[in-house]
Amino acid sequence: MVKMKYLLTGVLIVIIGVVLAVTLFPSEEKRVKKRFRLLSEWVSKSPEENAFTLLQKMKDIGALFSEPCELKAPDESLSGSYTRQEISAFAGGARSHFSRLDLTFHDLHIVFPEGEVAKVTLTARLIGRSTTGEQADEIRELECLLKKIDSKWLFNQIEVVQVLKK
Amino acid sequence: MSVNRRVRQFFFPSLTPRFLIRVFLVSLFAYLFFNYLCIPFRIQGTSMEPTYPDRGVNFCWRLRYLFSEPKRHDVVAVRFAGSKIMLLKRVVAREGEQVEFRGGRLFVDGQEIEEPYVRLPCHWNLPSRRVEEDCVYVVGDNRNMPIEDHHFGQTSKIRIMGGPLW
Repeated sequence: MVKMKYLLTGVLIVIIGVVLAVTLFPSEEKRVKKRFRLLSEWVSKSPEENAFTLLQKMKDIGALFSEPCELKAPDESLSGSYTRQEISAFAGGARSHFSRLDLTFHDLHIVFPEGEVAKVTLTARLIGRSTTGEQADEIRELECLLKKIDSKWLFNQIEVVQVLKK
Repeated sequence: MSVNRRVRQFFFPSLTPRFLIRVFLVSLFAYLFFNYLCIPFRIQGTSMEPTYPDRGVNFCWRLRYLFSEPKRHDVVAVRFAGSKIMLLKRVVAREGEQVEFRGGRLFVDGQEIEEPYVRLPCHWNLPSRRVEEDCVYVVGDNRNMPIEDHHFGQTSKIRIMGGPLW
């Protein structure tokens, strides 16, 4: 009985240790996923958003990208290298057309071809309502390259994958 | 065993090792079956109306094309980065075929194709194009919208996840 008590205590300590280790020292994959979570949170918009939040979010969005960041989206007329300011301005301009916006990422496949580089393939879905009341629902497959700069994963390249070619 | 006891045993079974093993095996089977073989999905959008109405529920049967190739008129699920978000479309042409729309009518290799599933008016015009190797050409059944607003085109066969169960 006493042995069982020690055994259970030991198992409990190991479980707590594992949970703490995972929480306090997240893997690189989790750190990369967090960048997507932040991008989703900052691009998304609620109808109640005030001007201060808007400005803060625009600044925050820019900080997620490397300087410069390459965008490859020929169908959206977005191809080339962009600075953080340009990306922030573009995101702010796009957000201003919507009263409500919800960006979500699905099916993230993360690989690390090199130590400081992460390649992520994912599905991005943007659901929103424009200021004129039109409903928008756009889905794209993206291939993103993130680079670890100053111990932060930053978006270095985003390419829209063509799933259907007319 | 009395009926009363049987009913009680059914709703409140004894947690015997045998019962727990059975629960584990059923859960494992359900997880594998509904995640990898028969994926449930909800239709969002009107692209396949009236065949598959908006908000309908169906299952994607992954083994549909295990031993065969998608044929013309088959309805298929086309994946993006994974299986969380898919497009439900109809195959209208296969690799090597020339596909075009004239006044809303579909022509494959210069021959008009009967499409009884297209019930809504369509006035599309699309110049002839050849479907590339290892690809199929997919279109939705609802073409009662400007051609620019409809997601359709050529897609790689490896993106076809399967077909709807019904």
